[in-house]
Amino acid sequence: MNTKATMIQNSEYTISDISPELMRGPQWLRDLRNKAREDFNQAPLPRRGLHLWRYTDPGKFMYELNDASDTTYGDNYDVVEKIERHHVDEGTLAGLVTDLGGREIKRYGTEALAEKGVIIMPLSEAIEKQHDLVEKYLYQAISSQTGKFEAMNGALWNDGIFVYVPNGQVIEQPLHLLREAGMENSATFPRLLVVVGKNAGLTLVDEYGGGSMDEDKGISFVNGAVEIFGLAESKVRYVSLQRQTSATNSYLTHRAQIEQGASMLTIPLVFGGSLCKQNFGVRLNGAGAHSDIYGLLFGSMRQHFDNHTLHHHAHGSTSSNIDFKVVLKDRAQSAYTGLIRIENGARNCEAYQENRNLLLNPGTKAQTIPELEILNEDVSCSHGATLGSIDQESLFYLQARGIAKNEAVRMIVSGFVTTTLNRVPVDLRERIETFVAQRLEGI
Amino acid sequence: MSKKKPLFEFKDIHVEVEGKEVVKGVSLTIMPGETHAIMGPNGSGKSSLSNALMGHPSYEIVKGEAYLDGQNIIEMASDERSRAGLFLAFQYPLAVPGVSVANFLRSALQSHRGKDADMSDYRKLLKSEMAALSVDPAFATRYLNEGFSGGEKKRVEILQMSVLNPKVALLDETDSGLDIDALKTVAEGINRYHNADNGILLVTHYQRLLNYVKPDIVHVMMNGKFVKSGGPELALKLEEKGYEWVENENNNRVGV
Repeated sequence: MNTKATMIQNSEYTISDISPELMRGPQWLRDLRNKAREDFNQAPLPRRGLHLWRYTDPGKFMYELNDASDTTYGDNYDVVEKIERHHVDEGTLAGLVTDLGGREIKRYGTEALAEKGVIIMPLSEAIEKQHDLVEKYLYQAISSQTGKFEAMNGALWNDGIFVYVPNGQVIEQPLHLLREAGMENSATFPRLLVVVGKNAGLTLVDEYGGGSMDEDKGISFVNGAVEIFGLAESKVRYVSLQRQTSATNSYLTHRAQIEQGASMLTIPLVFGGSLCKQNFGVRLNGAGAHSDIYGLLFGSMRQHFDNHTLHHHAHGSTSSNIDFKVVLKDRAQSAYTGLIRIENGARNCEAYQENRNLLLNPGTKAQTIPELEILNEDVSCSHGATLGSIDQESLFYLQARGIAKNEAVRMIVSGFVTTTLNRVPVDLRERIETFVAQRLEGI
Repeated sequence: MSKKKPLFEFKDIHVEVEGKEVVKGVSLTIMPGETHAIMGPNGSGKSSLSNALMGHPSYEIVKGEAYLDGQNIIEMASDERSRAGLFLAFQYPLAVPGVSVANFLRSALQSHRGKDADMSDYRKLLKSEMAALSVDPAFATRYLNEGFSGGEKKRVEILQMSVLNPKVALLDETDSGLDIDALKTVAEGINRYHNADNGILLVTHYQRLLNYVKPDIVHVMMNGKFVKSGGPELALKLEEKGYEWVENENNNRVGV
């Protein structure tokens, strides 16, 4: 019997063999899917020694896929959805989009945005109704050549989310995307395409939840792709909230391209899952473009995280800044690699990168590797990295003021992340503090 | 009139740091309302003594007893000692990034008062204590000791003391690194805190703070021991003649 797992791994099977429904849509899309299928087949499994794969076994993402129609979702999903619907109703969110298993996309409370010309719809629907726009951008930031697992998503995504903000339109409150992974023995291929027009603004909270809670029953696998395009003078704020359950392996690639005078703020909140490899990249394409990445990672139990950031200065007079904080306890592991690439001819660029790791007990493990590829001399660049446990002198200082040891530890951890949180614009900070506090409860 | 009970007393305290004895049997009794000063040259063990009394894990009390208001504190963790009413103003206060002065002190005061205690007076209290110590109100939201000058750190230590209002305050080299104006402000803060019910133990190298905070009793510490005790005039004599004087005097006495 051919399960879908063996079909994906076996290059003789085409996408139609795996799932005929994936071959709907226009010819260009079918061509691109077939190309992605081919590229996936052609690309060897990355070698462990390669810099992006030094810390994580790529074999863990060669998932044995069961029939997607059997996919079930966790009980918690309804609760989470209800909370976010409530936020829409009380007016603190601009809208909610739910995405069940990369297959069922629904909108809630987005009517006011539609009146402003903002387009939010399933990618499958956008391919029909906004054909030219989608064809222009889809696969442009993440192609099947980006890597083997990006090709896997490119071939197998079923449905995704499309968000378009027209020129000059600024959406101040966050649009929340709730992406639910299937439970045990499921594979989910979420995809997101965002285009923010000239002088326009958008804040997105992209939440990844769900998955398998019991390794013995089988893990859940998620392979996601996020493409974001910020046109000239646009302002994009993107929060990636990883809250998947304890037996979920995820591979997520984010790529943004921003044009002249545009700014992009990326906030990876990396909390959940058992094995989570993420790659956040921003390409600065025009003078005055600026990108900030403020990341917070909390790991506990046996969680394994592998995060990569890329700031690609493709144009002169662009600037970028990264502050990525990691807190680990129990036997959690984190690897962080951050690449700053400044192209030849891209003069007068500024790029800063800082990764600090706080290890709460022996048995945790953190790696931090800054990488610079600077192809001209007229730049201002710096990077810093620290690994350390809680300073015993600091602990004594707090205890000497009457604060009990566990509370003192919590205060030091909270202070450690506060210095990053305080960089987040005030209107967005409170929401993020809530997410952080919920995760810190377990630390 | 009934006899007053000692507020803070320790007997035959021996302290080891990494297996090396640095305090070699010191005893002292502070009655309510008293100010004592421990003076001594660098390396005499006076900072080790104050750290050990506060419960620093690297300064182990290997022998001796210590009672705060009749309560044995030797087995207590440092946070318990603090809540029992002991305070240490640090010689080198540490920066705690991301934790504001106001939040830090609120947590500290909350832990002293109890988890569910009313804190509605806190803001007002902090504000008035900051004003009294000429601490810029903007410091409330700054991260504790981060980027503070030496004088600012010491002033914020005294601020913490005023807010927590301990029974006994150990002030470890609180005068070091202060210019004369800062020294006066800090001394005023100490005098304002001091009353007939609490006690102060000043640990200092120089006597200049003692011009502003008058000790009742001065102890001279050398090589891990108290070698001489006396009234405030002892500090002046030390200032005049230097620590060698005590050393020589003691040697002479031994030689008699």
